[in-house]
Amino acid sequence: MTDDNVIMEKVEVKEPTKEDLVAEAIKNRFPSAEVEIKENKWGKRRVWVRVPREDYKALMKFIVELDPEAHYSIGIEQDYGEELGYMSHILINYEEAPGVSLLVEVRAPKDDPVIPDISDVFPIAVQYEREAAEMMGIVFEGIPDSRRLFLPDDFPEGIYPLRLDEKGISEEAVKNAGHPYYIKGGAKK
Amino acid sequence: MDVMANIVYPVAGLIGLYAFVSLASLLWEGIDRKLVARMQRRVGPPLLQPLYDFFKLASKETIVPNTANFMFRAAPVLALATAIALLAYTPMGFEPLLSSKGDVIVFIYLLTLIGFFKILGAISSGSPYAKIGAAREAAIMVSREPAMMLAIFAIMWRLGKLGVEKPFSMGVFYQHNIWETGTPLSFVGAVILLYVFVIWLASEIEVGYFNIPDAEEEIAEGLLAEYSGRYLALLKLTKALKAYIAASLVVSIFFPWGIAGYLNLSGLSADIVNLLFHTLKVFILLFAVQSVFRATTGRLRVTQAVEFLWKNAFLASLIGTLLIAMEVIM
Amino acid sequence: MTEKVEYWVKVPIGPIHPGLEEPEKFILTLDGERIINVDVKLGYNLRGIQWIAYRRNYVQMMYLVERICGICSFSHNHTYSRAVEEAAGIEVPERAEYIRAIVGELERLHSHLLNLGVVGHDIGYDTVLHLTWLAREKVMDVLEAISGNRVNYSMVTIGGVRRDIDEKGKRLILDLIKYYRSIMPQIEEVFLHDPTIEARLRDAAVVSRRIAKEYGAVGPTARGSGLKVDARWSEGLGVYPDLGVKPVLPQDVTGEKPHGDVYDRTAVRIGEIHQSLELLEHALDQMPDGKIKAFPKDNVLVAKLKIMVDGEGVGRYEAPRGELVHYVRGKKGSDKPLRWKAREPTFPNLFAIAKGLVGNQVADVVVAIASIDPCLSCTDRVAVVQGGKKIVLTEKDLLKASIEKTRELNPDVKGDPTPIGFGCAR
Repeated sequence: MTDDNVIMEKVEVKEPTKEDLVAEAIKNRFPSAEVEIKENKWGKRRVWVRVPREDYKALMKFIVELDPEAHYSIGIEQDYGEELGYMSHILINYEEAPGVSLLVEVRAPKDDPVIPDISDVFPIAVQYEREAAEMMGIVFEGIPDSRRLFLPDDFPEGIYPLRLDEKGISEEAVKNAGHPYYIKGGAKK
Repeated sequence: MDVMANIVYPVAGLIGLYAFVSLASLLWEGIDRKLVARMQRRVGPPLLQPLYDFFKLASKETIVPNTANFMFRAAPVLALATAIALLAYTPMGFEPLLSSKGDVIVFIYLLTLIGFFKILGAISSGSPYAKIGAAREAAIMVSREPAMMLAIFAIMWRLGKLGVEKPFSMGVFYQHNIWETGTPLSFVGAVILLYVFVIWLASEIEVGYFNIPDAEEEIAEGLLAEYSGRYLALLKLTKALKAYIAASLVVSIFFPWGIAGYLNLSGLSADIVNLLFHTLKVFILLFAVQSVFRATTGRLRVTQAVEFLWKNAFLASLIGTLLIAMEVIM
Repeated sequence: MTEKVEYWVKVPIGPIHPGLEEPEKFILTLDGERIINVDVKLGYNLRGIQWIAYRRNYVQMMYLVERICGICSFSHNHTYSRAVEEAAGIEVPERAEYIRAIVGELERLHSHLLNLGVVGHDIGYDTVLHLTWLAREKVMDVLEAISGNRVNYSMVTIGGVRRDIDEKGKRLILDLIKYYRSIMPQIEEVFLHDPTIEARLRDAAVVSRRIAKEYGAVGPTARGSGLKVDARWSEGLGVYPDLGVKPVLPQDVTGEKPHGDVYDRTAVRIGEIHQSLELLEHALDQMPDGKIKAFPKDNVLVAKLKIMVDGEGVGRYEAPRGELVHYVRGKKGSDKPLRWKAREPTFPNLFAIAKGLVGNQVADVVVAIASIDPCLSCTDRVAVVQGGKKIVLTEKDLLKASIEKTRELNPDVKGDPTPIGFGCAR
């Protein structure tokens, strides 16, 4: 199966790959977004986009314009110390192999963790947003369904299990939850 | 008043029949499970497993839900009582114990009463799954009885014309049977009614296509959802008895020949030999209708099953009845 | 003009239900036997895996990730390794890629046969269940001969595979292919042409193409509705392009346009069994010799990863149930990943099928759920450690309680399972 648009030729002019076209389109439309194409060791290229909060929803709508069959795979919530992030992986242009793998990230500071909600563009995103809201404390404005997804209903409010700061699970609430290797001090550091 | 003939003899006979039929029907269930397991390339349980199940269930703790009322506890007992009463009217190789003129109506009434008690017991348990199961049982019961009733009345009427001492009673089949009439029209009608009765038997025992309300644990746990311990043991025994009785009906309408005449026996020993031969015929019929059907098909949805019963069974029953009745009229 | 009064009843299916393999709650709003709405509630199988993952290093994570699920354990292992390899920039030798493909296809065979049996069982057709699972025993035997275990194979490591397939293994796999080719006509005749199956599965729980696309359905659920999505194909993963992978759509198997019902999903699974057998043959032919691990010594792995992982990596693979995505973020100099997250295929499929069940009867609920092949162990995965007013029972307390109960029931039981000495350091 010839994947001639994924092999990098260092010699002549290479024809623009699907990832290049997508990256160009996003960069032209949203100059405030940072777009990067990274390629891994076996030749797969992914487009990593970081976009500020204000353009987030417009970018999502633009992606659906680029390809109406866009497929939303996962929404990952992250704790970066001072900021909270939400990263989504979207697969577009997959009518012919291989498709374009697009990762969009948006960040918000911890004292104002509000991120726009994209469930009118991708209806399944509301479930990932519910999980991010209960696990990391991100507030999605305009979310249609803000019930808890995985945690039980009587879990205490204000404790977000996946945060790395004081709002996470405190050490007193947990008994023996470390690996024996680390409880004994780990490797000699 | 002749105490021996009117009271003691029927009661003793009924108790004896009940003991025999319970053992025979539980034994049949064991054979059925073993045969179906062999058909599925498994080993299967021992032959007397349903008997062991009955004793085990009778000794387990009975849990009654909070939302149940008195009917929940009364229903299994009433259902079993009805089944025992039904035994007195079932033709089992000899004329039934309490047969009299027109007792086919009592037979059909008691047979549907068993299902009715199960539905009542399920509804009064307060579980939503049992209510769904009860609704399905009611739908199927309503769809299967008309075909059978039409067929059996037509057959009784036809046989009554041949001259019997108690018309429209269950003992009619042992004096004349449906194949004796001889004309081709009634022969074809009888074959069609055999088909109707076989479908009716499958839906009465609730196997194969019709395994919908009773033990339907996959979908909504059915009628038996809240029963445990003693009550479940009684209900399972009732189910086994009902299968035997329904199959007895079909066997005695279409294959009523006994062997006591060939062995020149009479009186009580003739009845016993006939009973054993009848049990053998019931096992063979139930093998074809229960084991083979169960192993080779799955279950339908309740709407599909109701449609099947009305379209196939009832229509065929109409046609067969018309064929038999036409001959009487002409 | 009198209004029609409708009585809508809410009935829960689950979390404990004989028709569901794993606990999940579907709250059905019923009007008689017709379903109006389905609400999905998860969270009964939480084990705190993401929280544990904050406290493990890369190699310990591999063992953790494998045990998320029993049936798709190889898929999780594989995807996680790919994510770390992308973040670290490790190149995997070609023979290892072929072995990964072979074991992946064997796992797909065994999972699809399991699911076909479960669909048969849920419509009351027990004979199909027993015979299909009998056929599945052959794959389990071959997997045991290759990897040593019937489930949880542990074949993949970061940078390659752990065990090689020798000549004996190759012969066993070729025998397996011949055996399955001989029984597939029987399976097809049951699942595609039997009257009971057609009556029950046709037009049951239809998931239209639009709903499948909006809700991000993956795997046979999406392909059964006509979406052409398959992670091996759209990712260009490993050696799969050389083996010739294409998404299997229902029209390849049944010849008709896809309706999106349970019958189509079953047809897709049968087509995938055929495709897996072909892929196994090609892979065995084309497999080159060479080394199977990028780092031949295992004990340098953690040290090397500490230096090499810098950044983020995403791994995507097609598990038997659909597309599996893992994400790993690490920093140079630390042997623990900073963030790990997985998304397994059942999660969007559940919501898609919840929409697809509207308008069907209660009888179809269990067979619809079985048709997406739910693997809830993968779905619930986040922390549920509760402090405050609840007591936290540690493993030692639970073990002590269970030993006491056994002694109560049978005072002269021999043996004492309390761990002596160091035990588990808890």
